[in-house]
Amino acid sequence: MPLYGTLDITANAKALPTLANLDTEAWTLPKAEMLQLLIEVPRSTTDGLLPKAMHPALPSYVILAVTKYSESPVGPFNLAVLRLGSRAGAHPRGFLLGAVASTEAAAKELRGRWGLLVEAGEVKFLRRHDRVMGTVAKAGKTILDCALIDPQPVAGTDVQYINWVTAANAPLDGQTQPMLIQVDPKYTFYKAERGKPQVNAFDAAAWNAGAITLADPIVGTCCTVDTDLPRIRFVMDPLKPVFQGTRRIRESRADE
Amino acid sequence: MKFGLFYEISIPRPWTPEKERTVYNNCLEQVKLADELGFDHVWAVEHHFLEEYSHCSAPELFLTACAMITKNIQVGHGIVVCVPEFNHPIKIAEKTATLDILSGGRLHVGTGRSATWTELGGFRANPDITKKSWDEFVRCLPKMWMQETFSYQGEFWSMPERTILPKPYQKPHPPMWVAVTSPGTEIDAADRGLGSLGLSFAGFEEQEKKISEYRRRIKSCEPVGAFVNEQVATTNFLFCHEDEKTGVEMGKRLGNTFNYLATQLISTREVFASPSYQSLGLLPALRRAATGPDANEQQTEGMAYGDPARIIRAVKKWESLGVDCINFILNANEVVPQDQVMASLRLFAKEVMPVFAKEPAGKALSAHALSARAAE
Repeated sequence: MPLYGTLDITANAKALPTLANLDTEAWTLPKAEMLQLLIEVPRSTTDGLLPKAMHPALPSYVILAVTKYSESPVGPFNLAVLRLGSRAGAHPRGFLLGAVASTEAAAKELRGRWGLLVEAGEVKFLRRHDRVMGTVAKAGKTILDCALIDPQPVAGTDVQYINWVTAANAPLDGQTQPMLIQVDPKYTFYKAERGKPQVNAFDAAAWNAGAITLADPIVGTCCTVDTDLPRIRFVMDPLKPVFQGTRRIRESRADE
Repeated sequence: MKFGLFYEISIPRPWTPEKERTVYNNCLEQVKLADELGFDHVWAVEHHFLEEYSHCSAPELFLTACAMITKNIQVGHGIVVCVPEFNHPIKIAEKTATLDILSGGRLHVGTGRSATWTELGGFRANPDITKKSWDEFVRCLPKMWMQETFSYQGEFWSMPERTILPKPYQKPHPPMWVAVTSPGTEIDAADRGLGSLGLSFAGFEEQEKKISEYRRRIKSCEPVGAFVNEQVATTNFLFCHEDEKTGVEMGKRLGNTFNYLATQLISTREVFASPSYQSLGLLPALRRAATGPDANEQQTEGMAYGDPARIIRAVKKWESLGVDCINFILNANEVVPQDQVMASLRLFAKEVMPVFAKEPAGKALSAHALSARAAE
């Protein structure tokens, strides 16, 4: 059967974000601009980064995303995330390895509400006519400098965003424990562009990405979307295969 | 109604040399038996890099071996990837003609364009243009087979005038098909006069719509070849057992394992934003069904597992929808022991096949009959 990840997130639970509860209220995030680059990475460099409950994507790939949220309950902020392409059971997912938010308030709320392993830093989303750029710095050091080169219009229906999985501690059955959390935003597209990914600087260690090296670019997109960060619906046992260890926390939304 | 076998050649880890050889030998043993039992077709896919799901990257070699150990069963490329980075069209014409000769005119040529990033990316093929290159290839192949000399200047490939050799044994040429997974591809098949080689496990309602549209459009098609191959084939799982419960349980295990492996594939759309891959093809349905390899949820309707009576009911339903041929997947990751696969084939041939022995008029036409129709 398919390979499994080897990461035991319970072994270092203190390093994970902790949620006060699983009753996170949804955020509505209108007119967000999302730069997303997909890049293949050597399979050997992803060893040990994926929880035991999940299957690796084959070939291995990462999703680098820099998003400009112009409106949110904590005000405008930019967010950069690195996710590892994977499978939760039969479903494609991006397991969040690391994230940087441009404001302390956003970082705090994202950690405490959805379990994003996120710190505050400098995150820039910049649009030029020939490219869309994202840069991220922490403590004055650039940890990501990337761009979508020569963006060309495509339809929103051409773009598929896959759901996130975060690792965090949260109370369940009367005990706060490490778990995997599915974060599954919805998207309404206003504009979509596609281009070539380019990464000028990437500090894997700063993204909790072990020895990942970026190898073969797949594609880059930049989209303007109405999106959200929804209520938590599913959590997963980090040590059991997802098809055996998934718990539904609440019913799906009316539009699902 | 015709019956065939459909091979992905799924091989579980760890991949020792003996295990890969054993699985290939199991498949050949099944094909030999199927030929003796009166099955009509054996199809083999072309897939690359799809770990465990399919180790069938050189189907023309497997099919040649099949042809060498059988007498009557027809051998089908299901499908040849018509993308230049995968296969040069001259080589496709040459290899298929050779296989047709070696098999004594038993070849069917399925065509397609690949659906996974794993494969397209592996060959550094551009997903945006696979449908266009497929269209060029299927229009060239019949000419390459039939014309004494051939030259071509197209968008995706070209060649100066040469004689492409050998020529196929079947005249004017082998029947051509296209793999139908994404919605709408059945229309592509119909418009070109190609057989519809259904590779998805859609339910009755969806299939009925597809078949109806295919039949309607093919009436006014402009065939790419010398004749219209109006045939609709679907894919199914087969496990036939005297005891219905045992048959259903093993059949579900087979189906769940196959579906779970299939959902691990990286569809092109998942990672590569492209207007050429708007649909996820068969994956959404599989993901709904594939909650896990040991899941016990109900699968898509019409599966051919259980006891003979149950399977007869399913096949009759497919027949009533206008399906001409059902191709069966017999195993996935070797979850069904070989002796049980063989017993299942024997029981199916004994109890089920006779019920469908009479061909419905005007549907499952042989290549020769189709040629005759074209000549008219």
